Amino acid sequence: MSDGSGVSGVSRRTAGAPAFEPYGVWTDLVGQDHISTDLVQAALGNGMTHAWLLTGPPGSGRSTAARAFAAALQCTTANEPGCGHCLGCRTVLDGVHPDVLQLATDQLSIGVADTRDLVRRSSMTPSSGRWQVLLIEDADRLTEAAGNVLLKAVEEPSSRTVWILCAPGRDDMLPTIRSRCRHLLLRTPPSTAVAEILVRRDGVDPIRAREAARAAQGHIGRAKRLATDDEARAKRSEVLALPSSLTDMGSALSAAQKLVDATISEAKRAAEERNVTETADLRLAMGYQEGSRKAVPGAAGALKDLETRQKKRATRMQRDALDLALVDLAAFYRDVLAVQLGAIGGAGGDVTEPIHDDQYAAVRKIAAAGTPEATLRRIEAVLECRKAVERSVAPLLAVEAMAVRLR
Amino acid sequence: MKFRVERDVLSEAVAWTARSLPSRPAAPVLAGLVFEAVESEGGEGDNGSVTLSGFDYEVSSRAQIGADVTEPGRILIHGKLLADIAKSLPNRPVEFSTEGSKVLVSCGSSRFTLQTLPVEDYPALPTMPTATGAVTASGLASAVSQVAIAAGRDDTIPMLTGIRVEIEGEKITLVATDRFRLAVRELQWKPEQQDMSATSLIPSKVLSDTAKALTGGDWVTLALSGGDAGEGLIGFQSGDGASSGAKGSRRMTSRLLSGEFVKYRSLFPSEYNITATVETAPFLEAAKRVSLVADRTSPIKLAFTQGEVTLEAGAGDEAQASEAMDAVLDGEDISVSFNPSFLLDGLQVIDTQYAQLSFTVASKPAVLMGRPALDAPPQEEFRYLMMPLRVPGQSAG
Repeated sequence: MSDGSGVSGVSRRTAGAPAFEPYGVWTDLVGQDHISTDLVQAALGNGMTHAWLLTGPPGSGRSTAARAFAAALQCTTANEPGCGHCLGCRTVLDGVHPDVLQLATDQLSIGVADTRDLVRRSSMTPSSGRWQVLLIEDADRLTEAAGNVLLKAVEEPSSRTVWILCAPGRDDMLPTIRSRCRHLLLRTPPSTAVAEILVRRDGVDPIRAREAARAAQGHIGRAKRLATDDEARAKRSEVLALPSSLTDMGSALSAAQKLVDATISEAKRAAEERNVTETADLRLAMGYQEGSRKAVPGAAGALKDLETRQKKRATRMQRDALDLALVDLAAFYRDVLAVQLGAIGGAGGDVTEPIHDDQYAAVRKIAAAGTPEATLRRIEAVLECRKAVERSVAPLLAVEAMAVRLR
Repeated sequence: MKFRVERDVLSEAVAWTARSLPSRPAAPVLAGLVFEAVESEGGEGDNGSVTLSGFDYEVSSRAQIGADVTEPGRILIHGKLLADIAKSLPNRPVEFSTEGSKVLVSCGSSRFTLQTLPVEDYPALPTMPTATGAVTASGLASAVSQVAIAAGRDDTIPMLTGIRVEIEGEKITLVATDRFRLAVRELQWKPEQQDMSATSLIPSKVLSDTAKALTGGDWVTLALSGGDAGEGLIGFQSGDGASSGAKGSRRMTSRLLSGEFVKYRSLFPSEYNITATVETAPFLEAAKRVSLVADRTSPIKLAFTQGEVTLEAGAGDEAQASEAMDAVLDGEDISVSFNPSFLLDGLQVIDTQYAQLSFTVASKPAVLMGRPALDAPPQEEFRYLMMPLRVPGQSAG
């Protein structure tokens, strides 16, 4: 019987432990009580270790869990790590705690230069005397060279240094790094739990919350966007209209064009919103006063750097948006398959729930027109397209190839 | 908030605190300087004080100046911008007053309206550890400048980018190395407790900057909190004591590096077979000239014979240079090659008229020390150890 505190294995909740009642920073972590329990115990000194790897599907709250843990490690309230209201917790959540360095990339990869800086910081002692926390949100995006830079520091960090790495899966990390981390696995939060937090935190109407939660397949951020942003909902409907519009070669190609255009325009819109606030923040930091064009030396260079970074991020966001659309599409065919096999709407009652509830009519139509084998081939086509996009194939080409196979 | 302060006092304090501000701040608020004005506590000649502080998550600096405070308060102003403004103001009293989210800086007939940054988002500054002793400001600055040259600049081994500080009773030892050379400097200080013993590793750049920045007063108070116990901070303070009414005091804190430092004492040979003494300044000049034809990896060769040293660089078809000068050799003739920049670095921080190089054999490390006069023994408080370069075909020549 494992007690769950193994360094490399996935830890499980100790049998008989009282159920975890989320409080403070842990309330934003949806459906991951097993993780919260382990992390709270670690912060209390039971099973603490110097390197952690948090994995879980996108949107399951990896970075939320990582930040909550960082806050818990800096929390000054006795016996309630991560209380959420002490100065330690608040400054970590605001991203201004001196002993917590968060590296989140919005680009395609994390390079050697950024990693070197982290390694340097990891060798410093914490200024508050608690922990020096280094948090990498997209550790799967570390380049191989960057991973090797990190290796030594993760293997033998200074006594008060803690690494928290987040990645979608264990396999996304270099074996040499993941073997040096204690691994915690986040699960896909149940859609009821996601709906609940949308209602509680964002004040979304319950019915709409449930629909959005299911359509987002456990991705909390996506669910929130679908529930609160009409434009995002419209874009999703556009994507899901694609299967019904495929009749011949011409329609497939134009549908592909439409899908790519739609995702790019959404990504652009989201990027622009962030660019504006970011640029304003940097101008403030660089001493630009209201309406003036003069600032401290180096300001122009810094702004230019930011611009380059924003451009790189735009590429990443477009890819992410397209990937999201493809996931929606794959889920659509999953619903089709479920109908064809009688798991939804069959004689034995519903075995599973449709992901895209609002698209039920279209799903039935396509289900009636094809065989389960054909549907499986289509799902395969969508998944292959995802892989192609990830490998930097020109998006339009990849989507066209997929659309032709979906006919 | 409203206060009035002398221009010189202000510009000096602003320049001092602003110099440690990050040029590319991690968060916009870190580009700011916090101004905290407190009213007089009623003491004789005390009209209140203003504390300026800056922080980049690693180093914090704090300057306290006397000011005529009419309304206490706390604001955050862009540091670099204010430093530029403060140094160009006319020499008249400067008045600061806030109006909503703006601050009005007026001096004589000049007026500046600046936007303030959100002070409530500013992180808490680390607290200064308790004082452990005091060292003369000039002594610290010169000792650090001698040692810092040997510190590594490569972040892949962070431990080597630090200066190790060893405190043993009334002696402080500073050590730095980049694995190719090592510098050790000892100096006296006044510890709070006579029998204290402590070690810590301070980022070299921080210690150099701090030692230079604190030369204003006579003494610098060091405050060290143990590196292993968790808290890892070193504090420096110059100016009048830590009492609340103190005016014109400066404080800095820095985070420490952790890691096991090189066991360096055994690297020094226990005795030397050969010593060579040269006049520092002319030797440095000659070495600089000869090094002009040596690139970073090719060596400069020092050939010592009785009464003379020949410096040579360049070989084969490349440009060559050589120069000879007087030297006092004690022992057999010896010829050793060094990395030219390592040799120059060492010579540049020797502050005595003569410099002594000590050898065991040509392939073992050499030690450079200062020597006040030819008939005086070398000063052992500063020792600079250099690995000689192995030159192909040297034994044949």
